Amino acid sequence: MFLSRRVALALLATASLLLASLSIAQEATEAPAETPGAIFEVEGQWKVATVVKLTGIAWFDRMETGIGWISKDYPSVTAFQQGPAQADAAQQVQVIEDLLAQGVDALCVIPFQPETVEPVLKRARENGVVVITHESSAQENIDFDIEAFDNAAYGVHLMDALAERMNYEGEYTVFVGSLTSKTHNEWVDAAIAHQREKYPKMTFVGDKNESFDDPQKAYERMQELLIAFPNLRGVQGSASTDVVGVGQAVEEAGLQDKIAVVGTSLPSISRDLIKTGAIDMISFWDPALAGYACNMLAILQLEGLMPEEVFEGKLPEEGFGFENLEGYEEMTLVDRVFFGAAWVDVTAENVDEWDF
Amino acid sequence: MPSIRNLLMRQEVIIGLTIVALSIFIGLVNPSFFSTANVFRILRATIIVGMFAMGVLIVLISGGIDVSFPAIAVFAMYVTVSLIRSGTLPDNLILSYILAALIGLGLGLFNAIFIAWLRLPTLIVTLGTLSLFRGVLLFFVGSQRIRIAEVSPSLTELSRANLLTVENPGGGVANLHLAFAFLIVLAVIVWLLLRYTMLGRSIYAIGGDREAAERVGFNIRRTQFFIYAFVGLLAGITGLTFSALSREADPFSIVGIELDVIAAVVLGGASITGGRGTVIGTLLGVLLITLMSSSLVLLGISSDWQRFVVGLLIIIGTTIPVLQARLRRRVAA
Repeated sequence: MFLSRRVALALLATASLLLASLSIAQEATEAPAETPGAIFEVEGQWKVATVVKLTGIAWFDRMETGIGWISKDYPSVTAFQQGPAQADAAQQVQVIEDLLAQGVDALCVIPFQPETVEPVLKRARENGVVVITHESSAQENIDFDIEAFDNAAYGVHLMDALAERMNYEGEYTVFVGSLTSKTHNEWVDAAIAHQREKYPKMTFVGDKNESFDDPQKAYERMQELLIAFPNLRGVQGSASTDVVGVGQAVEEAGLQDKIAVVGTSLPSISRDLIKTGAIDMISFWDPALAGYACNMLAILQLEGLMPEEVFEGKLPEEGFGFENLEGYEEMTLVDRVFFGAAWVDVTAENVDEWDF
Repeated sequence: MPSIRNLLMRQEVIIGLTIVALSIFIGLVNPSFFSTANVFRILRATIIVGMFAMGVLIVLISGGIDVSFPAIAVFAMYVTVSLIRSGTLPDNLILSYILAALIGLGLGLFNAIFIAWLRLPTLIVTLGTLSLFRGVLLFFVGSQRIRIAEVSPSLTELSRANLLTVENPGGGVANLHLAFAFLIVLAVIVWLLLRYTMLGRSIYAIGGDREAAERVGFNIRRTQFFIYAFVGLLAGITGLTFSALSREADPFSIVGIELDVIAAVVLGGASITGGRGTVIGTLLGVLLITLMSSSLVLLGISSDWQRFVVGLLIIIGTTIPVLQARLRRRVAA
């Protein structure tokens, strides 16, 4: 009896904890509703599902906006987005299974773990479902993959932006999420190579700094770099949180006018530091456009409008792209992967145009 | 006059000497180590680990262990900031701290129910609640990163507040953050508590020998209730301070810090089996851990080697107490 009263108390405490948490409300964000506009005649009544890594986060909420544009621009197409509530590879496979059972004509998948979705994508294609992936350039069982940009070209773009803000001279360093994160290292390797070739007065100092995608680690590392390299004049970040930590260290040291900070990030986490000048420029790609482009490829494939050459891994002579989608007007093709040049640069002037 | 041998048996002295030796070594490799900016930087890096360490010290002295405090901290911090964002809680620093402390206290009491009432092992309970609190937070409250500057002017003001600001000779400024004072005040409170109160004595007593403590009349259940509630309260305050220092409330943050904190407290001479530990030793332990992990760029150690060096330093650091215990036994023999 005595023990069970204690257990009851413990259960009561657990229940009240859950209830208290439930009562805390969350807010939703609104996105602008301009659509790119239709550029093809689409006749089929297609059902196109976009499967994201995770629902409920700003990045994929923004992508869903782009998916909504598809339904508006092409009324005969039913385009919608689904994904697991948790970033979990097995749950994402389950979502795809359910969609196949419902009968969709095409899938746009942003795989959480490329190898885990291979079997279900294989089955989808065997059943005649068109499969396009995004952010997964080494996927096997696909019709096509689409990437917002080529990693090396993007790294060069960031270096050009950094060099310009450093007056093409002085010491700089780079941050990566981890020495093992492939994309980050492709960006900075291309950037450093480009600097050595084009900007001889600039010097790369230290080493690639690891931030483990943690703004606090980036902050602490940057503070140490400021002491170890007092002549540091520029930083290029890779993880979305790198420039946030770096910018905070720069701002606290009162060096925002002396040190240029550029890198990949999102306005929602860097806005305050961009406005104070601690971060000079961030770049990212717009998930709404990426999702739209992914759906466009699916629709072209379904309609049989895909140029013949691309099935041989070549582009038609007149080029290929979507003239209404910024950054995807002239895509390049490597194997079955389309690359856009769809980076978006954000500075203090335009940071308020973005809400994610 | 205590003999050198007696001095060397005190963990505080050994840690202090290690800090001095390490500082001289780093300073020789890179003289800018002794710059004001660097000293301020290292002191700032001790704030969060140090504040957590004060709570962990009390738990370790009592013979328990608590690994749930990071989850309590992030829970209190994120709920408080979410409530400010939704407008439920007015944007007032004092109110925010009171709420964060109360949430921490509540979650600490939750631990205490299982530990003091149900008498479950402290490690098992807090491992469970570590996961439980974070899970509840992510599932029911939210998983989005919130930038402090976008929701709370009062916390933003705190994040920019400094105790000391000095012009840097090379340009810019060096700041010592205001929150460093929080750590000092907290350390003094815990020191007074452990040294001059009956409660403090009872914490040492139950950690030294639980049964003996019970027989001489210490109320173990009440003491344990206090310990875990107090640790929760400290964690709540530390969590909110963390959001000011990092300028964001991220429900995925403060992960894995428990290992650093426990390592620092043990390095500072607290016994993992209870009954022993001091505030000053803990502060030195925190300083040593911070020094080791935040001077690698100054030493010019490349990123590939840093993990190796950190691991090596931790092994060397934890060997000290063992060697010291041997020395003590030899002296006693």
